[in-house]
Amino acid sequence: MDRATLWSLRLGFSSKEAQKIQSMGIESFLDASFTSKVRLDVPNFLRESPKSLGEVRELRQRLKAKNPDSVRELVRKEVQVSQQMKDWWLEQMMAAAFPLREKMTCFWHNHFVATYQKVKMNHWILDHNQLLREGAFGNFKTLTKQVVQSNAMVRYLDNVDNKKGKINENLSRELLELFTLGIGNYSEDDIKNGAKGLAGLGLGQDGAQYRKIFEDNDFITYFGKTGRFKAADLVDIIFEQKAAPYLITRKILKWFIYDVPPEDLVRYYGDYFREVDFEIQPLLRKMVTEEFAKNTAGSKIKDPLLYILQLKNELHITTLSPRLITIFLRQQGMDLFGQPNVKGWNGGTEWLSSQIYLQRHNAADLLCNRRALPGNNPLNGEVMAVKNPPRRLEIALDFDATGNHKTIIAALQNRLLYDTTPEMQAEFESILKYDFDPKSEGAEHAVLRLFNAMVKRPEFQLL
Amino acid sequence: MMNRRHFLSLTGTFTGGSLLLPQFLHAFGSQSHLVTADPCLVFIQLNGGNDGLNTYVPFDHPLYYALRPKIALSKDSVIGKTNGMGFHPALKDFATIQQNGDLSVVQNVGYPNPVRSHFRSQEIWQTATDSSHYGTTGWLGQYLDFQCQDHEPTAGINLDAVDNLALKGEEPNFITVRNPNQYKVRTEQERSVTLTDNPQLDFVRKIAHSVTEGAEEIQKALAKAAAEASYPKTNLGKNLEWIARLIKGNLNSKVYYTSQNGYDTHDNQLNLHHRNLTELNDAVAAFYGDLKSAGLLQNVTLVVFSEFGRRVKDNGSGTDHGTAAPMFIIGGGTKGRVLGGNPNLVDLDNGDLQHEIDFRAVYATLLRDKMGFDAKQIGITHSGLRGLF
Repeated sequence: MDRATLWSLRLGFSSKEAQKIQSMGIESFLDASFTSKVRLDVPNFLRESPKSLGEVRELRQRLKAKNPDSVRELVRKEVQVSQQMKDWWLEQMMAAAFPLREKMTCFWHNHFVATYQKVKMNHWILDHNQLLREGAFGNFKTLTKQVVQSNAMVRYLDNVDNKKGKINENLSRELLELFTLGIGNYSEDDIKNGAKGLAGLGLGQDGAQYRKIFEDNDFITYFGKTGRFKAADLVDIIFEQKAAPYLITRKILKWFIYDVPPEDLVRYYGDYFREVDFEIQPLLRKMVTEEFAKNTAGSKIKDPLLYILQLKNELHITTLSPRLITIFLRQQGMDLFGQPNVKGWNGGTEWLSSQIYLQRHNAADLLCNRRALPGNNPLNGEVMAVKNPPRRLEIALDFDATGNHKTIIAALQNRLLYDTTPEMQAEFESILKYDFDPKSEGAEHAVLRLFNAMVKRPEFQLL
Repeated sequence: MMNRRHFLSLTGTFTGGSLLLPQFLHAFGSQSHLVTADPCLVFIQLNGGNDGLNTYVPFDHPLYYALRPKIALSKDSVIGKTNGMGFHPALKDFATIQQNGDLSVVQNVGYPNPVRSHFRSQEIWQTATDSSHYGTTGWLGQYLDFQCQDHEPTAGINLDAVDNLALKGEEPNFITVRNPNQYKVRTEQERSVTLTDNPQLDFVRKIAHSVTEGAEEIQKALAKAAAEASYPKTNLGKNLEWIARLIKGNLNSKVYYTSQNGYDTHDNQLNLHHRNLTELNDAVAAFYGDLKSAGLLQNVTLVVFSEFGRRVKDNGSGTDHGTAAPMFIIGGGTKGRVLGGNPNLVDLDNGDLQHEIDFRAVYATLLRDKMGFDAKQIGITHSGLRGLF
């Protein structure tokens, strides 16, 4: 696989940026990605959704007075808005000229998980998402502080129930176990005491707020330090710990490059991450430029997002509704704003099961057949109308018609497959035979069949 | 069927409902099985352009010898002579099957404005379109689209390294099996994945290996029918043996497709062609005998064809790409006739035979007489032939 394509896929969602990486060089490409504009405006579909608890209460009362059933209507409507938010984010990912920021936002989204199902306020979910977008290349310590003190997170991890005398340890535990240090690097006492420090941190107007009556102002001991620590202090202490850089460094390596990152690399980049005081941008720069020089293709199983957007981009499909893609993602186990639990998507081999694999092939076949992805729940027993002529997608595939069967095979391979074997080559040459004329009418159909065969190779699942 | 349904509902709930079964799997699970012992079609595509004139030989025609000084087969060597035509000596069992009345020859099959590119001509045969038209689905795929409610992954079986355009329809109603041995026994599957130094790749390969759709049905069919020792150990022999096992095991696929390579004999034709036809003859003979003794020959129609024939005049020790050539139909209650006149070696088109019977007329005949299907539904307007079945 061509190196620029490989890194376009890794740093984005398709091969769309390969040209830029090729012409700018990886370092300038990173610079441009780091300085890419952040749009923090509130999308239109959220206009009517309540922004705070007060507004929810008010809205409920107003609706109830009119018609008791309309409260249920409100819930239904917000669920729809949350679905629109998935589509909206997907569109941001697809449209970005330098998608690394969205890719990194998605990384943080899967690190600091807070799902709509639990948080139930679309504005808070958006705020959380925007916070991650804005801080995507910022400082990990700062971002951790901001997330812990966000409405989305205090509700998602039940800190709204964490009150003096009635301690709830959930946020305190995940702050250590999943967000920063990882198991084995803290004690149960740290969790208990951290929870005391977090007690009373509940929902607020602009982010989470401590409420005096629920605070626990006892002196606590946290990693050997004693004091009256609140959320920001706890995070400061955590980042003084020796283990602080490694969990996140391992996860970043996993997100971008290796399903199983070599532990020496985790140490190497992790130590550097501490040296630069947990600034994400220099870490990414070092990691990407150094890994770029190595031969690392094929070390990671594609997530569903990359899988489907790469196909869509290769086939130049512009008319496929984002909703069908977000439904596909959910079916594939990568529901945006909807991770199964606080650990997020584990990735790696967990992306694939036999069903998921078949479903990927099915999607590839459909798109190559100019057909849209299937819509809703195939389990509901509905039998599709059989002979309904399906609506066609416009598709197009790039290939150089001045070449011959071998150059076309090689070019496609370079874009699609991280590796190739003589057996694969023979297979491809039996699809595009030696007397294939790329200039002849209908030649694109044959190249499309070749493409379809390539994307159904197991090798296409890797990058 | 119960077990299959059970399997599907189990995997459905196993995922807690969050991972959804692909629609086709669901549809398959709720579908009743096809009727036992339906008729089926088996295709052998001879890749490269088989030399029709040296396969079914006009041994009585002086021009045959005049135009092919280096590669003509002597009258004495030709076998199963009837009406001025006879088989290549390697096709001794074809001759026998013809004597038994179970083999028909359709002579001079081709299409107007013939294309001499392998690639394009195969496409034309597979899509059943005019040579000026470019189809994206295959004729058998379209037929299966009509035949299958929703989706039936084993309605067509393709034994080849790659998917076959002929079987491609709107719905995935066929599967391509690269290596029949992968179906031998479940427990061998893991071991038969070649391990690489990339554990992630090995993981995906194992999944890919285990999920061939329709694998359950194939397993069951294979379990019902034992392997026959009488098949030659060639590629084609193995493929036909495997097809016969699936037929005997009641898989009830409507179409089986396989191919044999090596017919592009520009050079050294006598040797190459003899070797290829021997492989073809021996594999077909075993298949014929197997099905006949199983009492299934009546249900199974074997069709042997190639994307084109070869130039009438030799180029020295070989032949270049040509046009019309004979097709062979074996079993399925064929009347054992020779349809169409003998090759016209006088009235050539730029040195090539002119076709007499359009291949789509043969397709229409097969669909009409064997599958009870009107080929007009899939856009084939040629009338079927009379007297084949």
